[in-house]
Amino acid sequence: MMNQQGRVLTQLLQGQFICQISDEEAWRYLKNSANRDALEPHLNLLNRTLTSTADGDVFFVGYTALGEDERKILGQQFQEVSSSLRPLVDWLLLVQQAQGSDVPVTMGTPIRLTELQTIIEDTPAFAEQLEKISRYRLFGSTSTQVDGQIKQVFKRLTDLGYLLKPNPEKQIFIATGKIDYLYEVLRFIDETESLSLAEQAQMASEQGSLL
Amino acid sequence: MNQNLFQSGVKLLNALSRHSEVIMRAYLVGSVSASDISPKVLDQLLQLGVLWRPEQDGDYRLKGAVRNLLEGSLQDERNRQIDTNMASALAAIKTLAQHYKEALHYGRFAESQGHLNDLREHVYALTESLANHVRLLFSRINNEFGYVSSVDAKIRENQLAQSQVTDLLNQIELIRFDELSELAGNNRDLRHLLVVALQQSFTRVTKEQSAVQARLLELLGRFREFRGKTRLLKGFVLHSDQHPDFVPKDYTRFSQIPMLFNQAEPLLRAAAVDPNNVEQEAELQHLVGQIRTINRQRKHEQHSAAKSISIEVLAAVEMDDSRLREAVEQYFCHVIDSGENITALQYHQWRALDFDTEAWLYQVIGGYQSLDTEEQRFFAIEATGEPHPVYSGNYLIHDVILGLR
Repeated sequence: MMNQQGRVLTQLLQGQFICQISDEEAWRYLKNSANRDALEPHLNLLNRTLTSTADGDVFFVGYTALGEDERKILGQQFQEVSSSLRPLVDWLLLVQQAQGSDVPVTMGTPIRLTELQTIIEDTPAFAEQLEKISRYRLFGSTSTQVDGQIKQVFKRLTDLGYLLKPNPEKQIFIATGKIDYLYEVLRFIDETESLSLAEQAQMASEQGSLL
Repeated sequence: MNQNLFQSGVKLLNALSRHSEVIMRAYLVGSVSASDISPKVLDQLLQLGVLWRPEQDGDYRLKGAVRNLLEGSLQDERNRQIDTNMASALAAIKTLAQHYKEALHYGRFAESQGHLNDLREHVYALTESLANHVRLLFSRINNEFGYVSSVDAKIRENQLAQSQVTDLLNQIELIRFDELSELAGNNRDLRHLLVVALQQSFTRVTKEQSAVQARLLELLGRFREFRGKTRLLKGFVLHSDQHPDFVPKDYTRFSQIPMLFNQAEPLLRAAAVDPNNVEQEAELQHLVGQIRTINRQRKHEQHSAAKSISIEVLAAVEMDDSRLREAVEQYFCHVIDSGENITALQYHQWRALDFDTEAWLYQVIGGYQSLDTEEQRFFAIEATGEPHPVYSGNYLIHDVILGLR
């Protein structure tokens, strides 16, 4: 049998994001700096190094040295990430609005698919929004029914690792640390391109309240 | 016992129970209009001070005291506000303590007992209101200000709660235990009330308040984070709506790639099965046993169009076959002619035949077996070889020897 170190190493090399939701045991293992140091030489051997998001709650593996090949791969990945930003952001906002709690979806947020579906079906504006989201290439739904659209979107998100379905018999999904990674990507773009997104949103909502 | 006070108290409580529905309706809705209740009941409730009318021609509302009673007993924290005016409460306590001491000094014991009772009432009311205050804050924190839905409102509520905590802490500072202990002097009852009871509640409340403050700050941090994330999402949507051609720069082209985008591609693939590993044999067999249907991917066979077949090519193939047969026939003839025993491989070598030796041996054995039984009787054939070392029942033939009987 593999020990914990081997198990975590395998997951990392498979390109998985490890967070408290996706695998709590592995996450706890990685939270310990001695364990991280023990893992590092194995990764370095393969030109890889352990990386985490800024708050250190999501772990993944990056390259140590960046040659031409690595840059090419990273470039492709970045294209994928940046093209899937808008669909994902739209989806996050839809879930947040439909749940009516004004709390954004973050790591650990449970989403009850059937409840969400009922709300969306009862609200034409949400249904329209879902229709738009499900047509994005990222989700690629061709269904005309809310049922088919929402199931396809959730299936794709689970495949991509943004959601986790802890119990295969129940339609309850939990957001993983990859969602938090997404926020960090947005924040990074915001800061690097000086878009001041938060200020734009605040101004818009203040103007909206004046009207 | 004051008989009059007792009687009117009982009357009030009876009225409360008789009109409980009206009162609860006023409590839950906030007010009742005159048209909902009969004028007689309304008059009675107004006289007893249960209902009042803040504005002329307005609706009737519950008096604060009744509302407080209900909120306290029902533990209903929805819109409960406790206003602790510590300074005036303390002043009242001090005054009562002085009354009590004076009465004792002049030996008016009945009067002093009355003052002591009042004093007890005040002190316990003060400690209760402090405890209630903390309980109220905790219940708000525990449901994360669930009574307002938007995060902005939660942040405002949180700030209000923080200012209340600060106020309360400031007020608690007004309790000067040295003054109180001086006032109590050596009177046992007074000391118990002013020093022991108040001090206990004081320590408990300050300890809880600091916990409340920490939780409030933590919650505020979380709410701000929520707000920040929501604004980030909304801002992004807004921005990409206003600038439809917006594409972030390719940060992977930078000389220093941000750690965020340095994500290695998956390296490990599933391992393959090793059929030679004896240790895994049982599991592998189990796996194979679970296969219900074998779906081999058959390549779609392309039916070639009918075409004319040239006979010459076929004949050439036949020739090839017959050469081998002819050679075998010659081998048999050689054995008859010479009358010597010669093995098939020796003949093969001697004649320098270019057939594959295995095919040659097969053909020789086949040639012998295709003879009639009568002709077979002339020949003796014997195979030299050995049994297979692993699989019993199989016999490996190395050579065949043919001779005349």
